[in-house]
Amino acid sequence: MQTDRRRLNAPPGGTTPPVFAAPPDTKLHRPTRTRKPDEHRKLFLRTGIVPSASGSAYYEIPPQEPQPTALLVPQRSSLKITCTVHGPRPLPRNAAFSPNLLLSAHVKFAPFATQNRRGYVRDASERDLGAHLETALRGVVIGERFPKSGCEVVLTILEGEEDGWGAGGAEIKGGGGGIMTVLAGCITAASAALVDAGIDCVDLISGGVAAVKDAGKHGGQEDAVVVLDPAPSEHDGEITAACVVGYLQSRDEVTEMWMKGDAGAQVQTLIDEAVKAASLVRAVLAEAVKDGVQAKIDEAEDDAAMTGSAKEGKGKSKEVVMTG
Amino acid sequence: MSSSAIALPGQDLGPVSSNTVGAGTHVYGDHLFASIAGPVHTTAPKPPSKAPPTLSITRPTGALLLPEVGTTVLGRITRTNARQANFSILALGSTGDVVLAEPLPAIIRQQDIRLTEIDKITVAGSFRVGDVVRAVVISLGDERAYFASTARDELGVVMAVSEGGNRMVPISWREFEEVGGTGKKEARKVAKVV
Repeated sequence: MQTDRRRLNAPPGGTTPPVFAAPPDTKLHRPTRTRKPDEHRKLFLRTGIVPSASGSAYYEIPPQEPQPTALLVPQRSSLKITCTVHGPRPLPRNAAFSPNLLLSAHVKFAPFATQNRRGYVRDASERDLGAHLETALRGVVIGERFPKSGCEVVLTILEGEEDGWGAGGAEIKGGGGGIMTVLAGCITAASAALVDAGIDCVDLISGGVAAVKDAGKHGGQEDAVVVLDPAPSEHDGEITAACVVGYLQSRDEVTEMWMKGDAGAQVQTLIDEAVKAASLVRAVLAEAVKDGVQAKIDEAEDDAAMTGSAKEGKGKSKEVVMTG
Repeated sequence: MSSSAIALPGQDLGPVSSNTVGAGTHVYGDHLFASIAGPVHTTAPKPPSKAPPTLSITRPTGALLLPEVGTTVLGRITRTNARQANFSILALGSTGDVVLAEPLPAIIRQQDIRLTEIDKITVAGSFRVGDVVRAVVISLGDERAYFASTARDELGVVMAVSEGGNRMVPISWREFEEVGGTGKKEARKVAKVV
């Protein structure tokens, strides 16, 4: 593995987060899913949070229930994503002429985002997420309206969902599709930030995840249940296949689909359920974008009222006659 | 012109047969859809024409993100040579309504400086590095720069600093004079003060 020579790095593999020992008489319980299979977790989305960027958004899936005990151990992971959009901006000096907007997407986990510490340089999984996000967004942006300019979409994951439940040093069984929930969140956040930046899009794009659970528990595919929005901590080791889509609801188009695991005969249902999850997310996305636009309009009106009252005192400027 | 509720990208604004495409909208199938988020404006056509009303959406922060052909821009001269003056576009609109986050490179060619007596113009006698100019975009240009023109009365140098570094005021259509009674004059393509 190549080493990062530009920063002062932590010792390789040496920074495990503190594991808080639970009192001996308590037993950690893995959280269980209390919502219905077709119910999405509540999420939070707001636009216009980074003043220096053209557009920005913050996306969060907070823990849905309060911690059951007074333990310091986080019982369930949550998801926190910030997205900034820079552009349309002029292309770098050495770039060739492009009649369209050149879109680029960068996804980076913060070093403290997951239990396993992430590096400062983007690794393979982060580049992969970036590529998936780019294909998802390329289908919504109307590039012809911004000739010879570029647009950068930068996502920072402040808290990433684990691939399972790892509280109190428990081993993560994996297969929870944590990275898929992250990608769905990235798609939704990026869409909100693009609209906040005022970049022309054919539609809002929202990300949705669905998973096949409990397949093969009794030997066959009969027991398999398809669930929307699987929280990895609730489904540790239960999930056999997961699917994420980037969905344009008003056009009924899918611009990005990523499936992992063996869904067997459930493939069609799995995609349909992921699309359903995306439709649920879109309701939140539309509200957040509308709130952001309304806030901007109110701000512009306040500014206009301020300058309007200042101008009245000055009087009209006169035409200057010039000679020469 | 009337405005109504906020539209979001992908929102159906009605069939093409009863609406005309305006800014911030696009056509998909036989319907008109919003492509940016903002209030929808309906503009009725001028009386003799029977065209359907134009639907357009404006951004809450300003109408444009990038200059188009015909946009008046404000910028600062960065470099001059015998054939052209390079400048960076800093704001859009004749009074700089939309301030750009990043400057855009642009060029005023010698033949686009003035409308008349094109063969007698010199770039050095029209602009100096540091001048603030008002110009109109005439082409999206090459891979690097936009092409702009100052061939109109109200276009040209708006603010200038003399060789000695003092503030100057326009005194004619082709000269600036130093403030402070030194009487030093410098040649410029002066924008008509309005």
